[in-house]
Amino acid sequence: MIALVARQQLTTLHRQRTAVTVVGLFVAMTALAGVIGWSSTQTISRVYDQAVVLLAQTGTPAPANPIGIKPTLSLLSNMTVYLPLVGALLAVLLGHLVIADDRTSGVGRLLFSRRLSGPAYLAGKAAAVGAVLAVALTASLLVSVLALLIANGNLPTAADLGRLALFYALSLLYLSVFALVGMAAVLLTRKRSLALLSAMGVWLVVTFAVPQFTSGLRPTASLNPVSDPASATTAFFRATAHARPLSLSEQYKAASADLLQTGPAHAVTATLGHAVPLLLGAGLLALLVSLTVRRHDWSRSMAGE
Amino acid sequence: MSSGRVLALARHEYRAAWRSRILLTLVAILAATTFVSVLTAALDYRGQLADYQAYVQAATADGVTRIPPSPLALLSLLRGAMEYVEILGAVIALALGYLTISRERANGTLPLLRSRPVTPGEQAAGSALGALAVLSTLVASTAVVAVLCLGVIGRDWPSSGQGVQLLLAYLAAVVYMGVFYALGVVATARSRVATTGLMVALGVWLLVVLIIPQIGDTLDADNQVPGGLFAALGLDRNGETAVLAHFSGYEHVRNWIEEASVSKHFERFAFAMTDVKDKYRGFTLGQLLTEKRNDIGWLAFYATALGTALWRSFRRVPPTPQGGTA
Repeated sequence: MIALVARQQLTTLHRQRTAVTVVGLFVAMTALAGVIGWSSTQTISRVYDQAVVLLAQTGTPAPANPIGIKPTLSLLSNMTVYLPLVGALLAVLLGHLVIADDRTSGVGRLLFSRRLSGPAYLAGKAAAVGAVLAVALTASLLVSVLALLIANGNLPTAADLGRLALFYALSLLYLSVFALVGMAAVLLTRKRSLALLSAMGVWLVVTFAVPQFTSGLRPTASLNPVSDPASATTAFFRATAHARPLSLSEQYKAASADLLQTGPAHAVTATLGHAVPLLLGAGLLALLVSLTVRRHDWSRSMAGE
Repeated sequence: MSSGRVLALARHEYRAAWRSRILLTLVAILAATTFVSVLTAALDYRGQLADYQAYVQAATADGVTRIPPSPLALLSLLRGAMEYVEILGAVIALALGYLTISRERANGTLPLLRSRPVTPGEQAAGSALGALAVLSTLVASTAVVAVLCLGVIGRDWPSSGQGVQLLLAYLAAVVYMGVFYALGVVATARSRVATTGLMVALGVWLLVVLIIPQIGDTLDADNQVPGGLFAALGLDRNGETAVLAHFSGYEHVRNWIEEASVSKHFERFAFAMTDVKDKYRGFTLGQLLTEKRNDIGWLAFYATALGTALWRSFRRVPPTPQGGTA
């Protein structure tokens, strides 16, 4: 039954062209990240060349070229911003659509007139959303490899490919959290618009409000892959920093920085440790959605706007 | 156009907006984040101000006559508050615009309104006026919280000149949010299904508020190395200017990308008014306004364009729901 629900949902997403739009947007944002990374690298090299000339005129020795010490994968550092912004919002939308469409069209009422359990229905829906996100992220992985090949002139090493694969696996976990948020919001609210705005409110809190509280990160600092370390000068932030493991977006960014080598190197256990809150978050949300779907009244249509 | 009818519609819009739970939730998030942002900045500022005052006292006691002025800029503590208006404020305004149309459609009040002698122009003016009142209340509340944080926690109150700058920054915030309110109304009114309009509006928000400024920001070479590229190369401000002179074409393209976003114009104006950017500190109000005339012009352009689109949308909006209920 789970496979049947998943197959039906995938067919619907395919017919509505939602799946292809999501995959296309992921490919576009990965290509954009590659172009921006390449452009930044080229500009920094040219700035360095000009700086060397200027420093030579004043007799000052030039420091090492910052590009020379930047790891290969850091070219894709913008993906650590685009996935939590665009990717997470698309995941929210996917989660919202797969449940809300059934409520609006009355398909949910029809389905539950058959021998279908709530958790099986939910598992099918989650599998369909997971499949679309997995295809989108795999496409992103391929575009990333292509971008690195074009920018560096050679294929990434096996170790770099492993890091990239782990980064996209971590991203799938992060996006799954938001897809579940989108599903939970539909099941917990009566109106479709309220469901969408509530899920988006959660995304805003996770992406901007919590990092402000735990690390003093201003909202625009969250938009740049290279941000200055958070202030630890005030007692307030020294206290709130204890809650940082609960900040999912910061945990995702920290693990991503480790995997793409855009920040200081850390032990593997530390990187894995960042994934634990994401796993717990996804697990708790899956439990919440599972409990909600059991008690949900499918005879009530999402009639209101 | 009857001012009585416009005011009645504005009052209806104002009251209805505050009844929306989701809007109140978004407002609460904005208020909480603004408070945390200004509170923490003010706590930090208090320590720095105390250090400076201690230095002044010690220098005076030692007979030093030429004491450097304080390098602290009180209004710059509002940077986070302005950024939250830029991101969250825009979402709130979008949601308000969406609710303006979807509420009337769902409640079936549009046919009732149209049965009265109310013109689409009066309806547009009433809704816009009511929405501007909601946005002004919201902005004024966050401004009061922010100024109280500066005074009570930062132990430094803005002067009258700074008060005028702050007023202009928050006025720009109302105009900026008004643009997104109009976008929410236009996108929803033009969609057969209101939720589709909301999704379109949120897509535009994502592009204009987050993606375009992010692209412009990350194309800035100085932002791509922790601590700044020019600092890493050991170059001061003059060295940076000399090097960037070789990249004028690149910088122009980067600037054009940023200028495509109304958010960036609001940000640049608000940051200049709140002394966030060092280079504007010490400018008179006249100098600031002259320097920021480009951003003022773009904000006015976007407000006029979206205002016109809003007025036209009310002429086209069908009085009854079409093509489904959600």
